[in-house]
Amino acid sequence: MDTINAIKKNISQEQIRDEEHPLIELKKCTMAFPGVKALDDVSFTLLPGESHGLVGENGAGKSTLAKCITGENRMASGELYIDGKQIKLSSYSIRESQAHGIAIVHQEFQLMSEMTGIENIFVGHYKSKGPFIDWKALHKRAAELMEFIQSDVNLNIPVKLLRTADRQIIQFAKAVLNESKVLILDELTAVLQEKDIENIFRIIGILKEKGMGIIYISHRLDEIFSCDTYTVLCDGKYINSGYAKDIDKPQLIKMIIGRELNQVYPPINQNFGEKLLEVKGLTAPNAFRDINLQVRRGEVIGIAGLLGAGKTELVHAILGNHKVTSGQIFVGGKEVKIKSPEQAIKLGIGLVPDDRRMLGLNMLFDIKDNTTLPSMSRFKKWKVFQDHKAEAKAAYEYNERMDLAYYSLWQNVKKLSGGNQQKIVIAKWMLRNSDIFLMDEPTRGIDVGAKFEIYTLINDLTKQGKAVVLVSPELEELIGLCNRVYIMFEGALMDIVEGERKTQGVIINSLLGINEDESN
Amino acid sequence: MKMNLINEFRTKSKRYSRSGESFLKDWMILILFVVLVVIFSVTSSTFRTTRNLMNVLRQASFIAIIAMGEFFVILIGNMDMSLSSIIGMVSIFFAGFAVTMGLPLWVAVILVMVMSAIVGVINGVLVVYGKVNSFIATLVTMNIIKGIYYIYSGGLPISGLPESFNFFGAGYVGLVPFPVILMVVIALLLYVMTQHTSLGRSFYAVGGNMEASKLSGINVKFVVILAFVLCSVLTAIGALGITAKTLSGNVTLGENLLFDVMTIVVLGGTSLTGGRGRIYGVIIGALFLQVISNMMVLMSISTFWQWVVKGIILLSVVLIDANTKKD
Repeated sequence: MDTINAIKKNISQEQIRDEEHPLIELKKCTMAFPGVKALDDVSFTLLPGESHGLVGENGAGKSTLAKCITGENRMASGELYIDGKQIKLSSYSIRESQAHGIAIVHQEFQLMSEMTGIENIFVGHYKSKGPFIDWKALHKRAAELMEFIQSDVNLNIPVKLLRTADRQIIQFAKAVLNESKVLILDELTAVLQEKDIENIFRIIGILKEKGMGIIYISHRLDEIFSCDTYTVLCDGKYINSGYAKDIDKPQLIKMIIGRELNQVYPPINQNFGEKLLEVKGLTAPNAFRDINLQVRRGEVIGIAGLLGAGKTELVHAILGNHKVTSGQIFVGGKEVKIKSPEQAIKLGIGLVPDDRRMLGLNMLFDIKDNTTLPSMSRFKKWKVFQDHKAEAKAAYEYNERMDLAYYSLWQNVKKLSGGNQQKIVIAKWMLRNSDIFLMDEPTRGIDVGAKFEIYTLINDLTKQGKAVVLVSPELEELIGLCNRVYIMFEGALMDIVEGERKTQGVIINSLLGINEDESN
Repeated sequence: MKMNLINEFRTKSKRYSRSGESFLKDWMILILFVVLVVIFSVTSSTFRTTRNLMNVLRQASFIAIIAMGEFFVILIGNMDMSLSSIIGMVSIFFAGFAVTMGLPLWVAVILVMVMSAIVGVINGVLVVYGKVNSFIATLVTMNIIKGIYYIYSGGLPISGLPESFNFFGAGYVGLVPFPVILMVVIALLLYVMTQHTSLGRSFYAVGGNMEASKLSGINVKFVVILAFVLCSVLTAIGALGITAKTLSGNVTLGENLLFDVMTIVVLGGTSLTGGRGRIYGVIIGALFLQVISNMMVLMSISTFWQWVVKGIILLSVVLIDANTKKD
């Protein structure tokens, strides 16, 4: 509580914020799900004109807290004040929170993908002229909204054709239209590129000037530093809050995971074996062209590139899941024609896809079945029947090595955390004894602690003589883990960096397609 | 240390006990079935005779075999509408081959099996390579086949199949009808296939998440086509049985069966979105539906009312299923 008081003192210096009249004041909130205390005596204050970062690991209680504020969850005890008025908790609902001007934007898009931007913004609030929708008025209002948030998005085409970032802007417009006072952004930027994130913070700035309060929930620590204030939760408990400008990243990490991380990235393995995978002149229309790369045993190569640079298509092409028109692929020195993932997997290639819920795991299967899916043919009794016991034993062995948190192999994978799900996807290929690991954004949407575990796992793989191809939007990750980074720009290979040239500056230039010599 | 590890493996590989609620949901149909049988047996003296009970089993058996075929298609998240036409096609062409053309019975059997398998392959190829929605693809093949067998037969039945063939549809081994034995054997084979072979597990994998299965090295195209072939071939076996009962080929045999087959598969707990379901569920579903039909016949309720009742049953099951899902 002391910190909050301290913030209040500091805030009086700022013009827009009004510490006497917080938009939201949550006191001693406790909330329990069967078996777990999701929130334990947590307090939280949001002032007008403030962007407040809410951080913590998966399961720390960030979303639960947000849902307590929106009325989706009913807290067991505590007090909630909105605009200084105490809310009667027993009857508090989403409807009531909306009436108070609280809006939430979820990570999963709540837009009708077949409808245009205009329709999406105004759905439920159509202005009509007699029995007809007054499109003219709607267009005029939409233009005003767009001008207010200083954005330019095509509102006349179905939103499914828009970029992720533009779709998010439509969600903002929707929140502004409803004249919300509080906007909760739940893991909004998990799928965005850097410059789009900047744009979002620019819009947040505009909303703040209007006196809105923003609660910003994110895994990405860098973004928290773009907020004014922060609150850290860990295991459902309130850890700390304060000004973002007063702390640095290591301090924040320590608060989030409850311990210090001395070594973020394990030392890169320098002990290489023979060339395992080589790609020569690989071309796929509308995706990438003339790609050359190679990776040896014990090596990690990184692939950097903006959204649409063709990174995902490239790894899928190596796996035989994306059509190529020309080029050669060599595995273990021999040229191979890979036509299907089935064939690639037999050659020892395994893919850890970017979307683990849709592509990595079967959500109806349990841990055991997911782990052994590509290796089923190895566990046979009399060459015909599945040996479920041997499968379970192998699945157990590999998931234990991954330090997976689970209570039974027969447990459904659906409710596991992102980090744990990702470990199963990796365990799957270790069990299959794959040699080449294609990893497409393996740390997407997983919390800090689990991220470091994945880094260690990648390092362990190289020590065992595996080769890793790592695709990541996070440059820091690529620099910290890879022996060599290949940079793609609009489908072409721009640059290959290793050793001393492996720096953020060099990579960013190539990412944006700027030739180093010209810029010098 | 080693003992510790073994013990830990034991706890983690133990199937955790499920809550009573989900147990009840999984076995609801079986419980309802048992309750129904008990009530009917107590209230109706005709129902509880061995003769009648065996009759129920016999009538359930061929439709159960057909439903097991549809089960595979639904398991992979698709739908096969063409089976109602396959039944008519098998029936009329079988009689055509055996009676009109005078071919030996076993040749006729092989020929209609191959024809059905080809229909299955066409359905599968349309879905996999043509990327046509399975509902539409099989609706189209259903109508084309229907046209073909009407062209062939003019809608008239072909009778005169040899008496000996009647055993296939109505014969008894001791007290037990032959079709029941056939159903049990097929069900056991398919049960072992689905639960204890990698091919069988692939159906569940593809139904649960097609893309993830593909990226895990499963030959998704093969699995999908195979499901349609299994459906057609099992339907052909069922159709032969139904034909054997009347000893004549008849194009109208399958006309009202599609609805019953769907009801049975859904009653048996198969998820229409794919990835979930059990073979024994299909058998229980078939018996359940047949017991109700039988009781309605014994109470001399008209066929039209039976349709109404069956419709209400399917609707209730779907409603219960849709509204008790946890997530």
